[in-house]
Amino acid sequence: MNPIGDIINGTTNGLAEVWTNKVRSLLSMSGIILGVAALVAMVGIVQGMLTNMRASFEMSGGILRLEVVPRDAPESQRHIAGISPGMTWRDIGAIQKAIPLAAFVTAEVDMRWESFIVGGRREFAFLRGVSPDFIDIYQRELEYGRFISDTDIANKSPVIVISSRVRDAFFRDEVNAVGQQIRIRNQIYTVIGQFAHMEAMVGGRNSLRWQNRMNYIPATTAMARYKGGDEVDKIEIMARRVDDLPDLIEQVSNTLTQTHRGIQDFEIRTQEEQLQEMRKLENSFTYSLGGIAAISLLVGGIGIMNVMLASVSERIREIGVRKAIGARSYDIFIQFLSEAVVISVLGGLIGLVASVGLLSLARDFIPDGESIQTVPVNAMFYGFAFSTTIGLLSGIYPALRAARLDPIDALRYE
Amino acid sequence: MNQAEEIFALSGIRRTYQVGNEYVHALDGVDLTIHDREFIAVIGTSGSGKSTLMHTLGFMDSPTGGEMIFEGRDVSSISRAERARLRASRIGFVFQAFNLLPRLTVMDNVTLPLVYSRNKVKDKTARALKALQRVGMEHRSTHTPNQLSGGERQRVAIARALINEPRLILADEPTGNLDSKNRGKIMDLFTSLLDEGITLAVVTHDDEVAEYAERRIRMQDGKIIEDTAGGAKQ
Ligand SMILES: Nc1ncnc2c1ncn2[C@@H]1O[C@H](COP(=O)(O)OP(=O)(O)OP(=O)(O)O)[C@@H](O)[C@H]1O
Ligand SMILES: [Mg+2]
Repeated sequence: MNPIGDIINGTTNGLAEVWTNKVRSLLSMSGIILGVAALVAMVGIVQGMLTNMRASFEMSGGILRLEVVPRDAPESQRHIAGISPGMTWRDIGAIQKAIPLAAFVTAEVDMRWESFIVGGRREFAFLRGVSPDFIDIYQRELEYGRFISDTDIANKSPVIVISSRVRDAFFRDEVNAVGQQIRIRNQIYTVIGQFAHMEAMVGGRNSLRWQNRMNYIPATTAMARYKGGDEVDKIEIMARRVDDLPDLIEQVSNTLTQTHRGIQDFEIRTQEEQLQEMRKLENSFTYSLGGIAAISLLVGGIGIMNVMLASVSERIREIGVRKAIGARSYDIFIQFLSEAVVISVLGGLIGLVASVGLLSLARDFIPDGESIQTVPVNAMFYGFAFSTTIGLLSGIYPALRAARLDPIDALRYE
Repeated sequence: MNQAEEIFALSGIRRTYQVGNEYVHALDGVDLTIHDREFIAVIGTSGSGKSTLMHTLGFMDSPTGGEMIFEGRDVSSISRAERARLRASRIGFVFQAFNLLPRLTVMDNVTLPLVYSRNKVKDKTARALKALQRVGMEHRSTHTPNQLSGGERQRVAIARALINEPRLILADEPTGNLDSKNRGKIMDLFTSLLDEGITLAVVTHDDEVAEYAERRIRMQDGKIIEDTAGGAKQ
């Protein structure tokens, strides 16, 4: 026995058989072709989406970021809630001083929609007051200039870091808008920095589009000019390592409980939930895609089995002749099995080529197409391996039927 | 004739088919010895068991009873795989219906048994051409069977039976589908094979064809009722 010779022989004979029955072979392959093409194309598209989703999650500090937001004191403390000063700028200082685990800390003072005026032209844009650490948490890239500094915070300087959108609205002609002046609520702000445009497409939308609209001034400036107090809307804290998170959360809670005089009028939020959501989405995509792929490839396998069974009954006499001149059952089994495998392998290969075509089309027609991988190697590997296995499995029964035929009965068959 | 070597020795061979509740005794106690270099004609009425005997000798079927010795070895109940091996390497079979594979060329049809006998012949093509030369068909090696006449097809089928150089060729009504001219050519070919040292057993309905054989076996109801062994004609 010589298995390698048998495989080579089986493959060449299988190819010859496929070639002599081109149309029939193509029809029997169609299920596998469609199955593999659809599987690989869908995985390619979904993987692109998921990659961008992850990217935008990471770009906002990822799992390492904590948010502290004000909330109503619990029922039991409601009657004494007034003793808490609320969430204030002092909390920022307390956290920075007391908690080394907090790598970066920023306040957020939200002004929402403001009217920006430059040389008589007016545009509405989002404005927010933050601390210097903001840029480290959000890993924003500056195209020009610098971000808000500690000195700006101390001096409550009238300086602004502008978004790509505001730059486009007012300073189209200048590449570098640093040094330009913008009037907001009768106060002149000097542009000290300008953000680069950011993009991460998820489901046809730029998930970072808000960040391209946000303009930032020092938190202290925002409080002094607009709020008239020292209240902040939100505190964001970033840990160095995931392992630090439990301790960090506890320390923040303790520190704020102290500054708030024991009143639990704040809430610490982690990104765990968002991560969980993202994982859920990934899983549901994986399972539904896997299910669709399994079903379509199963249908492909049934198609191959059908054609192989027809081919066996069509060739009963041939099987009889081969057996009469010395073919063993094993030889006949290998002959028909290789035919099924050749069909499924060819179908799989055509399917892979088709999937690359589909993905290239998708890149052009789906709005966030640039993120689509045209050659998702993993999906291609699994799709091909799965289709070959299906072909092998669906070839076994017809091949067994052929191999079991009695030579005399087969020769007598008309 | 000298005491020639025995190729086959059959004693009390039975082949019984069950059809519903009926038993059909296609072979019903056959005793037969085939010697090296014999030319045997098997004759008898339709349904007398001639084909069944040939299938049994050709290892395509196994007897349901009796003892069968091939080249000194008991082969009454050998495995399917072993029978396939013997079919591939020891015996050439020629059919009434030629049974060439229509999609293969003459050359590929003739070399096919070499694949199944796992014969490690270096040059299969040269070997096949030699076999085709023996039947006078070497000039048609690239044709397909449906481009040949009946007589030519049967000659190709004989070349295929010869490719593994068997000692024994079994032919079941090899001239049944041929006209008288081609019948004569095929029988002349068989006679020349006999001269080359091959043993032949040929089933025929045709007395003229039976005339070529030195020994005649007549079958009836699954039994041999007449055997001219020893006292050959001509
Ligand atoms: N598979 C089978 N099942 C049942 N009976 C069978 C089977 N094969 C053969 N027979 C019976 O065995 C007997 C012998 O058949 P066989 O084919 O050997 O006859 P034969 O002498 O070759 O006849 P013919 O000259 O018509 O070819 C017949 O009665 C036939 O009906
Ligand atoms: Mg017969």
